[in-house]
Amino acid sequence: MREMITTNLPVFIIIAPLFVSFILPTLSKRIKLVENLVISVEILGIALAVYLVSIILAQRGMPLIYQMGGWSAPWGIELKAGSLGAFFALAIAIVGLPVALFSKGNLSVEVGAEGRTARYYTLYLLLIGALTGMALTNDLFNVYVLVEVATLSCVGLVSSQKRPQAAKAAFRYLILATIGSAFVLGGIGFIYIITGHLNMGFASQKLSDIWQNNPRVVWTAFSFMLVGFGVKSAVFPLHIWLPDAHSVAPAPASAVLSGLAVKGYLFCLLKVLYFVFGPSLMQVYSVHRILVLAGMIAIVAGSILALAQSELKRRLAFSTVAQVGYIILGFGLVNTKGLAGSLFYLLSHAVIKSALFLSAGAIVNVTGKKHIKDLAGIGKKMPVTMAAFTISSLGLVGIPLLSGFIGKWNLLLGSLETENLLPVIVIIAGSVFCAAYLFPVIRIAYFEPAPDNDLKDPGLPQKIALILLSIMIIVLGTVPGSVLELANRAAAELLAVL
Amino acid sequence: MKDFILKRIASIVLPFICIYGFYVIFHGHVSPGGSFAGGIIVGLSFIAFSTIYGIEKGRKKLPEKVLVYAESYGTLWYGILGLVGIVKGVPFLANKLAGIDMGAPGALNSGGLISLIGIGVGIRVASTMVTLFFTMMEEEK
Repeated sequence: MREMITTNLPVFIIIAPLFVSFILPTLSKRIKLVENLVISVEILGIALAVYLVSIILAQRGMPLIYQMGGWSAPWGIELKAGSLGAFFALAIAIVGLPVALFSKGNLSVEVGAEGRTARYYTLYLLLIGALTGMALTNDLFNVYVLVEVATLSCVGLVSSQKRPQAAKAAFRYLILATIGSAFVLGGIGFIYIITGHLNMGFASQKLSDIWQNNPRVVWTAFSFMLVGFGVKSAVFPLHIWLPDAHSVAPAPASAVLSGLAVKGYLFCLLKVLYFVFGPSLMQVYSVHRILVLAGMIAIVAGSILALAQSELKRRLAFSTVAQVGYIILGFGLVNTKGLAGSLFYLLSHAVIKSALFLSAGAIVNVTGKKHIKDLAGIGKKMPVTMAAFTISSLGLVGIPLLSGFIGKWNLLLGSLETENLLPVIVIIAGSVFCAAYLFPVIRIAYFEPAPDNDLKDPGLPQKIALILLSIMIIVLGTVPGSVLELANRAAAELLAVL
Repeated sequence: MKDFILKRIASIVLPFICIYGFYVIFHGHVSPGGSFAGGIIVGLSFIAFSTIYGIEKGRKKLPEKVLVYAESYGTLWYGILGLVGIVKGVPFLANKLAGIDMGAPGALNSGGLISLIGIGVGIRVASTMVTLFFTMMEEEK
C-alpha cells in the first residue's frame, strides 16, 4: 500500500483535488458537505505534499519521474517531481488549506447565492489541481493545457460575485489572459518546430545543440514566453488587469489568485527559462538582464501605484505587482542564492498575501467599508483579524524573524554576487515603500479612536485560517530549516549543478 | 414555432441523428470522428429538438439535474478508468500494460479502455453543449 502511494505520489497529488472538483456540481444543494469535502481534500493535499517533500529531501534532490500510461519520454507525458516541483506543491498545499477554511460558512454572503457556492468551490479545486500539475509536469504542451485550465478557473473566480464590476473585471482579465495564452502557445510552437520535442528535458538537449542554426526562432520563442507568462503573472507594464480582478473577487478568491495563481505562471516561466532554454542560452540572449530590469521597474512602479490607492484591497493588489517584481528579479540573477531567495520569497509572499487579503476581506465583510481611512479603531474591535494583518504586513516589509526577511536576504546576497549595486538598492527601497503603504493601515486601525458600533471578529473557521497563516509566517521566518534547504536544492536543480 | 412540416420531419430525423451521434462515439477508436465529435452530434440533436419544439419541452426532455450529473460523472469516469492502471500496479492511465485485452485492430471491441473512456467523454461533451445552449437561451429572456 505504502509503496503504491509512493510510486504514484505525483499523480495522486494532482488528481485528488481534480476528482473532488468533478463531483461538486452535483452536490450544489448540500453546502456543508461540499465545504467539508474541500477542506478534507486540502488536508490530504498537505499530507501528500509533505510526504513528497520528505521523499525528495531524503533522496537528496533526486527527482521522482512518473511516466503517464507507462509510455516513456519523449513519446509519453512525464511528470517530474524534483526539488523545484515539490517546493511549489508544498506552497500550494499550505496556502490552499487556510483559504478553504476561511471560505467555510462565509462564502454565500460574498458570492450572493447558495447555488453559486458549489460553483465557486469547483473552480477553486480545479485551480488548485491545475497549479499542482504545473508544479510537477515535465511536458511543454501539458504546461499550456494547465495554464488554460488555471486561467479559466481564475476568470470564473473573479466573476463569482454577482456585481457588474465583477463581470467587467473578469471580462477584461479573460481577454488579456487569452492573449497571454496565445503567446505561450506560440512560444511552445516555436520550440517544438525547431527541436521536435515537447518533453522539457529532450527539448532542452536538442535546443542547446541546434540553437545556432535558428538564432532568431529562439529569440522569438524567448520573447513570446516572456510576454505570455508576463501578462498572466502581471509583470509591471502588463499588470493592468490585476488590480480590478483581484479587488472585486471574494476575499478567499483574491487570496488564492494573488497568492497562488500568479505564482503558478511565474513558476511555469521559471521552468521554461531554466529547464528548456537553460541558463547559458539566457545569458547569450541577455534575458537575465531583461528579467532583472523588469523586476526593478515592477518593484518601484508597483509600490508607487500601491501608495496612491485609497481602497484597501486595491492597495494590496498593487502590492502584488511590486512583489512579483522581486520574484522576477530573482529569476534573472542566475545564481544559487538569488534563485533560492526568489523561490523562498515566492512561498513567503503566497502565505503573506493570502493572510493580508483574507484579513482585509474579513474587515470589508464586517464593516462594509473599503477605504483605508474608514478603518479607524478596527484593531480593538477585531483583534485577531488585525493581528494577522499586522504580522503579515511586517512579514511583507521584511522584518527579521518573519518569512519575508529570509527571501529578501537571500535575494540581496544573490544580487551582491552579480556585482551590480542597483538591484540591491531597489530591493531595500522596495521594503521601505512597502512599509510606507502598509503601516498607515495599521496606524489607523490601532491608534485612531474607534466608532461606537458593534463589530467583532469573523467566525471560528475564519479565525483559525488567519491564525494558521500567521503562525506559518513566523515559523517560516524563525526556523526555515528544511524549506530553505529545499529552496536551495531547487535552485541547484535549476542551474543543473547537482 | 408552429411549422407543421418542420415538426414532422424533425420527429422522424432527430432520433436517427441522436443514434448516429452514439455510433460515432462508440466507433471513435476505429473510425474517423471520435467521442468529441460524436458528443457534439448527440448534443445537437437535443439542441435542434429544443429550437423546433420550444425550450420548455427541451428542458423537460433533459432536466438540468440530469445534465449536471452527466457532466460531472462523465469527467469522473475518465479519471476512474485512469485508476485501473494504478490498481493493477502500473502507471496512471495505463491500458495494455494493465493487462487489458486489446482485441484485433479495427474491430469494435479493440483498444481496451480507450472505447470506454470515449463513452464518458461523449456524454460529457453532449451535456456540456446542451447546457451551453440552455444558458445562452435563458440569458436572452
